[in-house]
Amino acid sequence: MKNIKIEATDRSPELDLNFEMNSFCIKGESYPEDVTEFYGGILKSMENYFSNLEGETIDFCFELIYFNSSSAKVFMSLFDMLEEAAEEGNTVNVEWVYVSDDDNMEELGEEFGEDLEAANFIMKPVE
Amino acid sequence: MSFDLFEKEVRILERAKALLESGAIADKDIAKEFAKLHKGYAKLFKTTRRLVKMSDRNEEKLNKLAHSLDEKSTMLEQLSVKLSKYLSPQVYESIFSGAQDASLTTKRKKLTVFFSDIKDFTRTTEDLQPEDLTSLLNMYFTEMSFIALKHGATIDKFIGDAMLMFFGDPKSRGVEEDARCCLRMAVEMQRRMVNLKKIWLEQGYDKPFQMRIGINTGYCNVGNFGSEDRMDYTIIGGEVNLAARLESNCDPGGVLMSYETYALVKDLVETEEREPIRVKGIRREVKPFSVLNVNDGSGVEGNVFRQSCDGFSLFLNQDKLSGQDREKVRQELIDALDSLG
Repeated sequence: MKNIKIEATDRSPELDLNFEMNSFCIKGESYPEDVTEFYGGILKSMENYFSNLEGETIDFCFELIYFNSSSAKVFMSLFDMLEEAAEEGNTVNVEWVYVSDDDNMEELGEEFGEDLEAANFIMKPVE
Repeated sequence: MSFDLFEKEVRILERAKALLESGAIADKDIAKEFAKLHKGYAKLFKTTRRLVKMSDRNEEKLNKLAHSLDEKSTMLEQLSVKLSKYLSPQVYESIFSGAQDASLTTKRKKLTVFFSDIKDFTRTTEDLQPEDLTSLLNMYFTEMSFIALKHGATIDKFIGDAMLMFFGDPKSRGVEEDARCCLRMAVEMQRRMVNLKKIWLEQGYDKPFQMRIGINTGYCNVGNFGSEDRMDYTIIGGEVNLAARLESNCDPGGVLMSYETYALVKDLVETEEREPIRVKGIRREVKPFSVLNVNDGSGVEGNVFRQSCDGFSLFLNQDKLSGQDREKVRQELIDALDSLG
């Protein structure tokens, strides 16, 4: 599958989806004007891709500063996909990177991570 | 009584769970499908709860930010009000509206420049205590600034007992109207000085201030002068020096203007031409005009009527009319009125 790289804007995050390396990263702020338009196609591609993976190692990094409720719904779907991929026998590492004094982002990461059982979840505070 | 926002959803889940556990669903496949639906509903319910919580949290955070921005904005507002007192309101407004940049740029513009000082200031005030002098000066500047702002002057600066103001930048009502505003302002200031003199005498100041005013119209360089770190919005040029020179040649309590200003305001004033003067930086000989009387715009000043427009000119000073002339003038005015129909 072709890698996807989208630069960040004021309202949307940087997307670095490297399917060759199974390394994925969402970084920045996320409150796009149209969430469906921004994430819709990508979610579909990832769903197809993850459902066909077997015995692979997937690294997924969320490095977010702010996101709105619609984006949160998208991320929850991604967490579901990752959990399912882990349940299918893949090694899934999810990293939640947040600024160490951002209590809000820390709390959100903890809540999102609660649902992951098969996948590995790491909270990573940065300065 | 406690309230759970999601009470209804919780009850549905409990009912579904109870139904599953009761074994009332006999068909195993249906029971399995029901269990799946129950699990899916539980997950969606969890997502909903999380989103609502997150939305509330974001809103709270945004409210806090908005509150802190409000506080900062109030603080900046208070600060800018304080700073505004160090600037002429027009300059302050043009900077804050973004019309003018705080950079070292100047332009050449035709302005009417006003310069004033207090005659023999040092001698007049040498016997005064510093506190009295401060109070007297502040009262004088407050009164004069009030009149200046009323007429739309850009107050450039106070230099000791002197004041430098100009009309025509940052806002101009046209060169002619700028000059007329300046003249009206100068005359009102001198009239106010007559009242202030009475007040000061009553307060025990035996040598009240006497103001001299010089006015000139001409091209000046106006803008920000100084350095990038510290600049002044001011005017420079020979025409500014000329206003100062006219002021020093002015009678105490009077207004002396150059021919250039006189030409723009002559229908408003009665003047007396003075001896020409020469000023460094100005090649031409300067003809000064001393203001004797001015028409405030109402056309009536005590016993003087003055009005002019295209095809009409009236100047009537009743104090100078003899009985015989008075009757003659009266008849001529009646005839003039009749002719208008």
